Amino acid sequence: MRAASRAAVFFFDLGRRAKRTKFFFALGLVPVLLSLLLRLRHVLSVSPRGFSGDFFYSNVILPFYVQFLLLMLALFFGTSVILEEVEGRTLAYLLTRPLSRAAVVLGKFAAYAGLGLMVMNIGLLASFLILKIEGAADPEVWVTLARDAAVLDLSLLCYLSLFTFLGTLVKRAVFFGLLFCFGWENVIAYFPGLTQKLAIAHYVKSLIPQPPGQAFSFLRLMLEPSPPLVAVLILLGLTAVFLAAAGLVFSAKEYLSPD
Amino acid sequence: MSPVVQTFKLSKWYGNILGLSEVSLDVHPGITGLLGPNGAGKSTLMKLLTGQLKPSLGRVLVAGERIWNNPALFRRIGYCPEHDSFYEDTTGRQFLAGLLRLHGCCAAEAARLTESALKLVELWGDKNRLIRGYSRGMRQRLKIAQALAHDPEILILDEPLNGLDPLGKRKIIRLVKEFKAENKTVLVSSHVLPEVEALTRDIILMHQGKILAAGDIHDIRDLIDTHPHVVALRCSRPRKLAARLIEEPHVLKVHLGPDGLLTLETDNRDLLFGRLPALVLELDLDIEEITSPDDNLQAVFDYLVGK
Repeated sequence: MRAASRAAVFFFDLGRRAKRTKFFFALGLVPVLLSLLLRLRHVLSVSPRGFSGDFFYSNVILPFYVQFLLLMLALFFGTSVILEEVEGRTLAYLLTRPLSRAAVVLGKFAAYAGLGLMVMNIGLLASFLILKIEGAADPEVWVTLARDAAVLDLSLLCYLSLFTFLGTLVKRAVFFGLLFCFGWENVIAYFPGLTQKLAIAHYVKSLIPQPPGQAFSFLRLMLEPSPPLVAVLILLGLTAVFLAAAGLVFSAKEYLSPD
Repeated sequence: MSPVVQTFKLSKWYGNILGLSEVSLDVHPGITGLLGPNGAGKSTLMKLLTGQLKPSLGRVLVAGERIWNNPALFRRIGYCPEHDSFYEDTTGRQFLAGLLRLHGCCAAEAARLTESALKLVELWGDKNRLIRGYSRGMRQRLKIAQALAHDPEILILDEPLNGLDPLGKRKIIRLVKEFKAENKTVLVSSHVLPEVEALTRDIILMHQGKILAAGDIHDIRDLIDTHPHVVALRCSRPRKLAARLIEEPHVLKVHLGPDGLLTLETDNRDLLFGRLPALVLELDLDIEEITSPDDNLQAVFDYLVGK
């Protein structure tokens, strides 16, 4: 574990300088910007009506994170855990250190999970505050924020571990990851009964309460939710399984540089 | 003295392509040069010796232990990869300190070792520059610094002199010799014969994934010297020189090309080069150019494998 934590510190430092991280920080600010625009529109309006921050948060901001940013962060950070070292031909520096291969995977996963969580939580918190500042005195509002953040964080860890595993296994992990995110996960969610439980998205959506409005209700179309405790346990279990599999594959497999 | 690195009938295939074939060798303390043309299997062997690749057949032992999935062994090994690849957005100091932290050094120790390694390769003045701004020679020296920084017992250097100017090469050669003086083990690969000659007399010749010869470089030189050398000359009045040269017993063949290039074959290059200045003075010639078209490693290997 100490070796993995050393690796995590090393990769967090490297990761925060990467262009990819800066891009995702910028992308994570999109919902903040949208929230700000909505708030400004309300403030500058000549005859302001009731502010619809709650509706906007549940129907635009949260789906943006669940349906898009979360998946993109997990896909691009997760697949690059090993592949960027292979393609950048820097793997030799890591494999010739007194560090087990599993520690390399775990350490880099932890570093990228930290970066992904920062990107997501900063944007979510800022959007939430901008849209729901009026209710800040109500403890229930903060419970909602904590719940949403926890669901997103847990989901990010699960998807990130899946894509980390995929990156240790195949070269074209981004392609297969995109197929999974926007093919399998979307299609399978609309199947009734047990079939939809074969998608990670099913457990993520099982933890998100029904949005108050009817707009964007496609998010929960056909959903037959699993109980929250089951959903949490399955997401945690999948994270552990994918991480263990990534460590095993990386320990057993050889990686040849592009040439 | 027992060997530090040993391989036993080591073979490696990449699919249907043979990378290494039944290589058995012992490497003892001191400097051992691994010499071979591009594609000979040197890098494959080095990757097998550093546990980056898994043998298809055979065994590798480093300091008496298997290397594959044995990370503890890397406290004793320093490896300089062939590829010119780095974490480009870090500075030289961050790169080295970060890798030392992976070795388990605390921040203070990593900083101390980083300073000493960067000073050793004369990069301390550029420690805070991003690696992407380093010249080829600086990058090469940084790679060597990361291999040396943790003071390993065994140093494995894959083409460490690539891309260095003559002065840079001399510095690295001196550095490697100093390392060897501490009774440590160095295995260094190159495809340039004079580079390896400058480092050591103890060489292993590789060709097409096999060990062709191993031992003292002078014995191998003698073997090479049983084959004729080709020398090309461009001078004023080449016919006159050709007529005089063919009289020399060590000159086997003379060819005068339409462009005036005189090409000759000799079985004793040293004797030829000893006689040439006297002939030039005697015939009052202006020499424009003397080259040895076959004085490269590929030609040497072609001779040795009888092509």
